[in-house]
Amino acid sequence: MQSFIIAKKELTLLIRDKLTATVLFVLPFAMILILGLLLGEGFGQKTDDLMRISVLNLDKGFGLNNKPWAQLAIEDMVSTPNIKVEIIQNKELAEELVKTGKRAAVIIFNPDFSDRVNECSFLSTGVNPFHRDGIYLEKLQVSIVTAIIESVCQIALLRIVMPWMIGKAFEKLGDPEFIELLGKEVSLPVPPSLRLLIPKDKIPLGELLQLASGKDAVLAKNYREKVGAGIQTALTGQFKNYNLTGKSWASLTRSVNNAETVNTLTTFKNEDGTGILKRGAIRYQILVPSFTVMFAFSLILISGWIFVAEKRQGTFNRLLSTPVSTPSILLGKFLPTIIISLFQIFFLLGLGKVLLGLKIGLPSWTFSDWMIALIVLPLATSFCVASFSLLIGLLSKNETQLALFSSVPVCLFALIGGCIFPWEMMPDNAKTLAFLTPQGWALDAFREIMPSSFDTTTDFQLIWKSTLVLTAMGFILISITWITLGRIRFGNS
Amino acid sequence: MTKVHSVILKIDNITKLHGQFKALNTISLEINRGEIFGLLGPNGAGKSTLLSILAGASKPSSGFTWLDGMEIQPNNLKLRARIGLVPQDFAFYEDLTAKENLVFFGQLFGMQGQLLTSKVNEILQIIGLDDEKAHQYSKYFSGGMKRRLNLGIALVHSPDILMLDEPTVGVDPQSRNRIFEAIKTINAMGTTVIYTTHYMEEAEALCDRIAILNHGEIIACNTLQNLLSLTQTTINFSIHENDMAKSRILKQKLPELKSDPLQGSYSLTSHKNSTPDIINLLVNEKIQIINLHLDSPNLEKVFLSLTGRHLRD
Ligand SMILES: Nc1ncnc2c1ncn2[C@@H]1O[C@H](COP(=O)(O)OP(=O)(O)O)[C@@H](O)[C@H]1O
Ligand SMILES: [Mg+2]
Repeated sequence: MQSFIIAKKELTLLIRDKLTATVLFVLPFAMILILGLLLGEGFGQKTDDLMRISVLNLDKGFGLNNKPWAQLAIEDMVSTPNIKVEIIQNKELAEELVKTGKRAAVIIFNPDFSDRVNECSFLSTGVNPFHRDGIYLEKLQVSIVTAIIESVCQIALLRIVMPWMIGKAFEKLGDPEFIELLGKEVSLPVPPSLRLLIPKDKIPLGELLQLASGKDAVLAKNYREKVGAGIQTALTGQFKNYNLTGKSWASLTRSVNNAETVNTLTTFKNEDGTGILKRGAIRYQILVPSFTVMFAFSLILISGWIFVAEKRQGTFNRLLSTPVSTPSILLGKFLPTIIISLFQIFFLLGLGKVLLGLKIGLPSWTFSDWMIALIVLPLATSFCVASFSLLIGLLSKNETQLALFSSVPVCLFALIGGCIFPWEMMPDNAKTLAFLTPQGWALDAFREIMPSSFDTTTDFQLIWKSTLVLTAMGFILISITWITLGRIRFGNS
Repeated sequence: MTKVHSVILKIDNITKLHGQFKALNTISLEINRGEIFGLLGPNGAGKSTLLSILAGASKPSSGFTWLDGMEIQPNNLKLRARIGLVPQDFAFYEDLTAKENLVFFGQLFGMQGQLLTSKVNEILQIIGLDDEKAHQYSKYFSGGMKRRLNLGIALVHSPDILMLDEPTVGVDPQSRNRIFEAIKTINAMGTTVIYTTHYMEEAEALCDRIAILNHGEIIACNTLQNLLSLTQTTINFSIHENDMAKSRILKQKLPELKSDPLQGSYSLTSHKNSTPDIINLLVNEKIQIINLHLDSPNLEKVFLSLTGRHLRD
C-alpha cells in the first residue's frame, strides 16, 4: 500500500519535471525520425542477390492448357535462376514507378499477348515472331525497356513461343492434309515387276496410297492417317530426347524442373508506408525496435539518477525514518520505472504506427499472440529495466558514480546488443555477443513482432525465450539488490 | 513549571565507529519526558550521528538506546511512528507543494482522510505557512520557509519525541523566532524535544537541560544554571589616574585582582554574586570608577573552559 503512495509521488514528480519527460518520450522518437531521414530508403533492406524483374500482366487470352500465355511466360521467368519476378498491379502504378525512378523497367504483357502467341506458326499463314537475334516483342504485344530485362524477356518468350510453334508444326506432320501434301511431293520409283500395273518410272506417294486403297475414299484417308502416325512414331523414336509435340519448353526438352526453384515471385508492396508522415519505409521496422529497446534501457540512467539525487538530498533518509520497510520503499521506486518504461514502449510503438506506418504483427496473429507481443514482452523488458535501475541507483553514491556505472548497461550494452548498429551491419559473431546483454534479447523479440516485408511467420518461441531470459535477468538483478541492501543501509564496520 | 521526571529516552554506552574513526565514544544520557533537551557541540562533534541512532536510522557499533523501555533498532518500524526527526538537510520534495509534502509523509505514517487533512492544516499554522504558501512548490521557498517545512513534516504524525538537527542553519531572525515558537508550542503540547545546535544562544534560550558534545564525547550534561556555574563572572573596571596610588589597597583586599597599571584597568574573575562587594569596596575607598563592565558566564565560556577551544571556528 505504502509502495503505491511512493510510486504515485515518483510519477507526480516525474510529470512535473518537464525536461525529464521530454527526454523520456520526445527524444527517442526524434532520434528515430532523424536517423530514418538520414539513412534513407535502402537501410534495413536485405541485400538482394536476385535481380528483380517487374511485370505487369494484362493478358486476357488463353494459351496452353487454358492458361494465359503471359502466365506461362512469368512462370518461366520465375524458374530462371537469379531472377526475382515482382508483379505490378496496374498500369498507372507501373508508369508511376518508372517515372519516379523506383523501378528501372516494367515488362508489360498487353491484353492481346495470348492471342498473338497463338497465332505464331512456322506456317505461312501464321505470325512469324522471329528476327535474326530473337523475337519481335511488339508483334507479341509486349512492351518493355532496358537491355538486360529485354534479354530475359526474349529468352523467356523464346522458350514459350518456340516449343509452341515446334509442337504445332510436328502435329501437322501427322495430319492427313500434310500426308496428302507429302503424297504429291514425294515420288517413289516403280519397281520393274509393277511396271505392267503402273506404266511410269516414278509414282507420287499419294497416288500409290490411292492405288492401295482401291479408290475407297475412307480407306484412303485411313491409310494417310496411318502413314502420319508412322511418321510421328518414327520421329519420336529418332528424337528420343525430345517431345517434339510437347508445346512447352519443359515437355519439348523433356527437362526435369530444377528442384532448387525457390519462390521468387512477389507482388509489389508499397514500402513508403501508410503512416501520416508517409515514412513507413522498411528502415523503421528496424529503427523503431532498436530505439525502443535502447531508450527503455536508458531509463536505468534516468531512474537511477532520480534515486541517487533523492539519496543525496536527504529525502531518502526521511523515507527510511517512516514506518515503511526498506523493501516497500524500494518497491515504490521500482513500480514507477516499470510503468514509465511500459508507457515509453507503447508511446514509441504507437507513434511509430500512426506517424511512420510501422508494421506490428501479422494478420494471422491470434488474440493471445497480440497479448504476448504487446503485454508480456514489454512487461518483461520493463521488469528487467526497473531491476537494473534499482541496483545501479542503490550502488551509486552520487551522480558521477551513477553516470559511470550506468554507462555500461545503457551505452555499451546497447552497442553490443545491436540497438545502435543493426546486427546485419556487424560481423557474423556479433549476434552471439549480443545475447550476453538484455538489450540483445529484447531487440531480438521486438524485431520479431515488427516483421519486415519478407516475413510471413512470427517465431513466438523466440519471443517467449527472450521474455523468459529478460525476466530471469530481472530476478538476478533484484537478488543482487537484496544482498547489497543489507550492506548499504546498516553499513558499519 | 515543574516537570515529571520520568525518563523517555535512555542512551546507554553508545559508541559509533566510522572505520577506525570514533564518531561517538561511550555516550550515556537520559532524556526526561516533556523536556527540551539541548545537544550543543561544534561541527563534527557527532550530533547528527547521535541523532540518527536515536531516530533508528542507523545502528550503533555498540551500546543500546531505549525509548520507553523498547530498544530502538533500525528494523523496529513501530517505534518510528513515535519519533519525529528533522534532518539537518532539507528533506522534502521541492517539486511538491508544502501541503503535498505534508500529506505524502502523513500517508506513509498511515494517516488518511479527515484526520490527515486537519493535522496538515494544524501544522501549517504552527510553522506559519499561510494558505498561499502551502500551495506553492517548495522549491520557490526562502531558506527560512524551507526550514519550517522541514520541521513541519516531522510533526505530521504527532510524535512523542521530536529530534531536531540544527534546524536554524541559514535562516533570518524572523524565521528563527517562528521555529522557536513552533518548538515551544509543540513542547507545551507534551512532546519531548531533543534540540541539536552549535549556537550556544539557542541552547540557552530554549533548553531545560543541555549536554555538551565534543569529539564524540559528552563533556558536560546539566541544567543551564548548573552549567553556567561551572564558570565565573569577570569584572572589568578602570579607575581614574588620580586614584592610582590606591591600587595597593585594592591589591591587598582582592588578591586575585589582575592589573594593567599603565592603563589603570583591572579585571577580576569571581562568582557573579560577589560583584556588589567589589563595587562597595571601590565606593568606600572613594576610588573614582571611570569604566566598569561585567563579563557574564555563557556556554561559550563553559565550552572554552572545558575544552580549551571555541565552539565556533
Ligand atoms: N559516514 C561517515 N563516514 C566517516 N566519517 C563520518 C561519517 N559520517 C560522519 N562522519 C564523521 O563523524 C564525525 C561526526 O559527524 P557528525 O555527526 O555529522 O557531526 P555534527 O553533526 O556534530 O557536525 C565527523 O568528524 C564526520 O566527519
Ligand atoms: Mg550535523
